[in-house]
Amino acid sequence: MERKNFIRSLMIGAISTPVIIEACKKSGITDGGTTSGSGTAGTTASTNGTCTVAPTETEGPFPTKVPASYVRSDITDGRTGYKMTAKISIGNINNSCAALAGAIVDIWHCDAEGNYSEYGGSGMQSTNYQSVHFLRGRQTTDANGLVTFTSIFPGWYSGRATHIHVHVYSASGTSLSVTQIAFPEGTGSAVALVNGYSKGMSGYIYNNADNVFSDDKTGVEIAKVTGTIAAGFELTFKLNVKA
Amino acid sequence: MSQKIITLCYRKIIDDSNLNHWDKFVHEDSFLEFKLQSQLYNQEGKYSTFAELLMHVPGAEKLHFLVSAAITGYLRQLNGIIPDILDNLGRRFLSFENFKFEIINSDFNNIEKHKVAINFFSKPLVWHNSIDNHLLISQFTEVASEETFTNLFQIQPFVSIHSIKTIG
Repeated sequence: MERKNFIRSLMIGAISTPVIIEACKKSGITDGGTTSGSGTAGTTASTNGTCTVAPTETEGPFPTKVPASYVRSDITDGRTGYKMTAKISIGNINNSCAALAGAIVDIWHCDAEGNYSEYGGSGMQSTNYQSVHFLRGRQTTDANGLVTFTSIFPGWYSGRATHIHVHVYSASGTSLSVTQIAFPEGTGSAVALVNGYSKGMSGYIYNNADNVFSDDKTGVEIAKVTGTIAAGFELTFKLNVKA
Repeated sequence: MSQKIITLCYRKIIDDSNLNHWDKFVHEDSFLEFKLQSQLYNQEGKYSTFAELLMHVPGAEKLHFLVSAAITGYLRQLNGIIPDILDNLGRRFLSFENFKFEIINSDFNNIEKHKVAINFFSKPLVWHNSIDNHLLISQFTEVASEETFTNLFQIQPFVSIHSIKTIG
């Protein structure tokens, strides 16, 4: 607004200058006759006296519309850990669990040390804008109802089994499901192979003691996870929602 | 000789009345992201405003952070320069890396009630002197040089000194 006013004021200046010159030429002529005048009454409100310097720079950079930084397939953001590809497919319970295309899928999980990307709250804490939303991502399901994320195998934190959070929205953004994906356990499982990264597994909460997964007696919330530490892991999970 | 090293904070308020494109994009996209993410804290659909969520739902304050992903792309477009704030020559001169996004107020059903703030935190500056009502400052560098280029700058509404440290 200020810039616009400033540019307008420049234009008014440019227009009014010749008028002043014309007026100067009329020196010696006594005032009293009718003058025709020029221009029309402006609508620019005065911003004079606000005691700020007006901008005097070339305009730009020009903004363009950008999606939220969640929208990406690789959500690693420089976090170190064993590579994990997560393939989540969404089915529609109201359509015999057939693939749901166009659904928005958000996932988030903790890093190898068990920390989430979060900051702020009520304090004065600020953060660098370049990598603030690590291990959070958003994809839209394809014709097969599938989204794929590249990430690292999650670590764990006190009180919880290894898990990934998922929030599924309809194409128009209505929440359809908020849930969590559990990991298989036991000898040879990815959880056992990763062994809690540098933390180890002392104090680890297994699925049957976890306050979210312990009621899942049939294992419907447990993903299929294959792979090795060297080659990386692949997680597949089918999630059916009412759409 | 001791030096005062300061960082400045500019709290840029953006609501429905902001007219320039960048501000409008931030306003619209943060509103859409708020509508998406707030559903996590409003699964029964009982509430309609951010204030209600903060009051009744544990963890709802995380929405400040969660919604901020809608605007980090726009922060990148600023090329590291804090907008709006000018030195006495009329140039933007403050560089930043850190920010904090806030939802001030919002209502899922009414974008006109959506009001946010971006706090921009400047990189460290040396406060050399105060001249009249202006601060004479320069970019802080680890290596001292004989001559330093400076900016003359007036503290204005929504700008404050965020931190101060005396060194040397």
